[in-house]
Amino acid sequence: MTAHELKKEKRIQEIIQKIDALGLELVKELEAGENPSLEIPIRGSSNIYFDEKNRKIRLGDKVSHRYLFNVSHARKFMQTMLVASYVKKDLLENNLTATLRDLYYAKKHTIEGTKEDTIDEQTESDQAIVDFEVALGTFRERLHLRAEPKGRMAGEMTVVDHVRDKSDRINLAKMGSGGWAVPSIVEQVEFDNVGVEYVLVAEKNAIFDRLNEDGYWMKNKCLLMTTAGQAARGARRLLQRLSDELKLPVYCLTDSDPYGWYIYSTMKYGSMALAHESERLGCEKMHFLGMSTTDIETYDLKSVTIKAKELDVKRATEMKNYDWFKSKPWQDEIDLFLKKRLKAEIQALSSKNLQYISKTYLPEKIAAQDFLP
Amino acid sequence: MEDNTEELENAFKEYSVAEFFKKNRQMLGYSGETRSLTTIVHEYVTNSLDACEDAKILPDIGVEVDALNARPKKTVIGEGDGSATEFDLEEQMCKASLFEVLVNGIKQKRPEEYVVKYGKRGKQNVKQVVFRQPPAEGTKIVGEWAIGHIRVTVEDNGTGLPQSKVGQALGMLLAGTKFHQQKQKRGQQGIGAAYATLFAQITTGKPTDFKTGTGNNKVYSGQVSIDVKKNVPVINGLQEAKGNYRGLKVSAEFAEVSYDRSDHGVYEYLRRTALANPHAQITLVEPDKSIVVFPRASDKIPAKPPKIKPHPLGLTTSDLIDMASVTSARKLSSFLSSDFTRISDDKANELSKLLPEIDFDKHPRKMSWVEAESIVHTFHRVKFNAPDLNTLRPIGAIQLEKSLKNLLEPEFLSVIQRKPKVFRGGIPFLVEVAVAYGGKAGAPSTSKEGEVMRFANRVPLLFDAGNCAITQAVKNVDWNRYNLKNLDEQPVSVFINFVSVHVPYTGAGKLAISAEEEIVSEIRMGLMDAARKVGYYLSGLKKAEDQEKRRKIFFKYIKEVAAALHDVTGKPKAGLEAAMRKIAESKTALKDEDEQEDEELLALEEDAEKEVEEENA
Repeated sequence: MTAHELKKEKRIQEIIQKIDALGLELVKELEAGENPSLEIPIRGSSNIYFDEKNRKIRLGDKVSHRYLFNVSHARKFMQTMLVASYVKKDLLENNLTATLRDLYYAKKHTIEGTKEDTIDEQTESDQAIVDFEVALGTFRERLHLRAEPKGRMAGEMTVVDHVRDKSDRINLAKMGSGGWAVPSIVEQVEFDNVGVEYVLVAEKNAIFDRLNEDGYWMKNKCLLMTTAGQAARGARRLLQRLSDELKLPVYCLTDSDPYGWYIYSTMKYGSMALAHESERLGCEKMHFLGMSTTDIETYDLKSVTIKAKELDVKRATEMKNYDWFKSKPWQDEIDLFLKKRLKAEIQALSSKNLQYISKTYLPEKIAAQDFLP
Repeated sequence: MEDNTEELENAFKEYSVAEFFKKNRQMLGYSGETRSLTTIVHEYVTNSLDACEDAKILPDIGVEVDALNARPKKTVIGEGDGSATEFDLEEQMCKASLFEVLVNGIKQKRPEEYVVKYGKRGKQNVKQVVFRQPPAEGTKIVGEWAIGHIRVTVEDNGTGLPQSKVGQALGMLLAGTKFHQQKQKRGQQGIGAAYATLFAQITTGKPTDFKTGTGNNKVYSGQVSIDVKKNVPVINGLQEAKGNYRGLKVSAEFAEVSYDRSDHGVYEYLRRTALANPHAQITLVEPDKSIVVFPRASDKIPAKPPKIKPHPLGLTTSDLIDMASVTSARKLSSFLSSDFTRISDDKANELSKLLPEIDFDKHPRKMSWVEAESIVHTFHRVKFNAPDLNTLRPIGAIQLEKSLKNLLEPEFLSVIQRKPKVFRGGIPFLVEVAVAYGGKAGAPSTSKEGEVMRFANRVPLLFDAGNCAITQAVKNVDWNRYNLKNLDEQPVSVFINFVSVHVPYTGAGKLAISAEEEIVSEIRMGLMDAARKVGYYLSGLKKAEDQEKRRKIFFKYIKEVAAALHDVTGKPKAGLEAAMRKIAESKTALKDEDEQEDEELLALEEDAEKEVEEENA
């Protein structure tokens, strides 16, 4: 058994022990004639706060108790137990991973003697999974549950990926036009032959393709990545590891609109929905490279802007009040947006010429360190 | 002088008989085909009940309503389409004395399968047949009807009438044995069986048959009619036979009446009479020969109400005139001091001083309506002692409970007898209230479920509900609070008996109790008392139902959870399941009352108490 395998085996045993402890606690309650309950930290705005010191969106310490014998809890209790059983017996004990949808289908069936299904919609089992994660104080990758993978990467670096008993060495500089697909679980990935100075992450596939074609990462010694929209857990965890373990600066490139800001803030501080995982998903050293509203002026893009919609304005007003957007530069940025009410896509830079982004915009911005915090 | 008075009296009566009846038919209860029949039965039955009560006999009363029809006609009233339930009737059919509904030739049961009620078509009132289940598509709905005479026969096992009194009782108006005595009695409402005799005479020209015996081995039978001009009874075909018969049987033929099972009809009248008189057994034979028995619930004969003279505060102008017409006093002043309670000579004197324009020495029968009116008015300016509380004769909570259980077989019954109160500053009254839930409770004769049964001194009040203190009190109760939202749609019978020597009726028809504040408020309190208990019962039921639901939910998931927990811990499934079952059962046991529910009940109680305090303040 390799060191990596040993480590992994140890992790599995840890989680199994946690699940066992939870199960035995329930048995104890049953034997005492008590109403069995699960202690689950409350997820929701009432229990979420912004940790100024560590710059992370975090879950508070409020907990709720989910009782088996409570009319409004019973069904969810049952579903949480189905998750527990599946994770322990089907996944961890067999060293297998599964998607959320696998679990949904594995545990969906009609309850004996009724016309009711254990799970109706996948959202129900997804919820139960999150409940179980937070109840155990762990995250779903440790439970061997996979989200849909999303995101691609290219650059001068080799990753070592362990898939069960096999290890693959992947040179990210030799991935062609498609790049390396970031897996949904990146815990087992190791980095080697790192030949880059920073990470550039773009929210859009199109920008990744543009810069990849232009050989931008080669010329600028960077790792190029796309999240393809809102970043998936695998991509976020990978970014955090690149930043923490390799001490690489990370620059983020999104459209100039509230949605772009939100994608950025999620990668950097974590999200409200997964506040319990900010610790291992947040990449707090990330910088916002662009597009900013100021860029529209600086790079004379006014003619290719889009008028902000009501919803954008509403969203911007909300975000202005978030604790993690309270720094002066961001307040100014949001104010400017609210004043001009203009959005711009990154592709707007193509109005100059196709390679304007790789030859002018990015080098200038990075050289000037013209970022938002 | 004596002869002169007698003549005067006769003249007064002669004038009153024909004229009064013709003019005031409605007032006496003879309006509308159904109501006229109910009034006839009411007159006979109350006489029978009173006769039995006087002699301390358990009443056994038989009522037979027989349709003596011309050949029945058949008229198509509609065709079923699987959804329509209401079918209009032609005007003529509404007046039929016999009416049946056939669907594809099969006679329908009433009220189980259909009811007849008044509905609106535009601005017109029409009578409609309303089916409980819509007749199937393509079925022919036929009304079989006939306009003819109805014979009503009522027989009792009471004291019977001595031969000499038959004419007076059945053939002389205002000659009832009750008029001279004032006591809390049923007949206060009835104008008398003699009016029924007169009504038969007017509508069919036929005399009333009778048969009576007092148990002295002599049985008399014959026919009685009224010489309208002289207001004297005419008896024909009197026969004397030997036989150990005791009781009275009266039988007469009427037109302009019709029989139906509506809530104004004979059936409902007798049902309610039986409810209010648990010691009576009443049997009804309906025109279709079906026999309905309202069985006796109790062998306890109610105590005879003491005879007392009327109290001045309970009088109306017409009461005063009526009493003056039969008094033996010769002066107005002595009439007042001798025929009433709590009017001493001093008080009579006081009254005469307040009314200098009236000659208190004149003969009472010479008192004009205007004078009677001012005397009644002035009664309220003199301070009289309150009447004796001992005069009230309620049914009694125990008897009423027996009666309602007997006839309604309710799931839950709450009976309340309130303490005596006074109205108009001194007239005592008390209220008996019962609320029956489930079983046969609820209106049998209409499509509605809930029913409110009004009684005054045990006599059912079937008409003019809108003007009645009882109806108003029922409306003033927030039934929602007692889990009886939409009373109309609940399987509930609400029973209210207003007990007083002087029932303040709204009119001479004696159909509704005047909605005076003290009365409405007292009835309302009684209703709330009774309803509260029902409310507790229902919230208990609801709780049981809720607990049952909860248990089902818990049990549903036990197997799944046990299997999962077995997967996680390796503990045997069966043991886990058993432990969960036990907890689920204790969690949903009825005695294990949820704290929250306890609080709700407590709040309900506090609410009610607060309300009572407010009322009393």
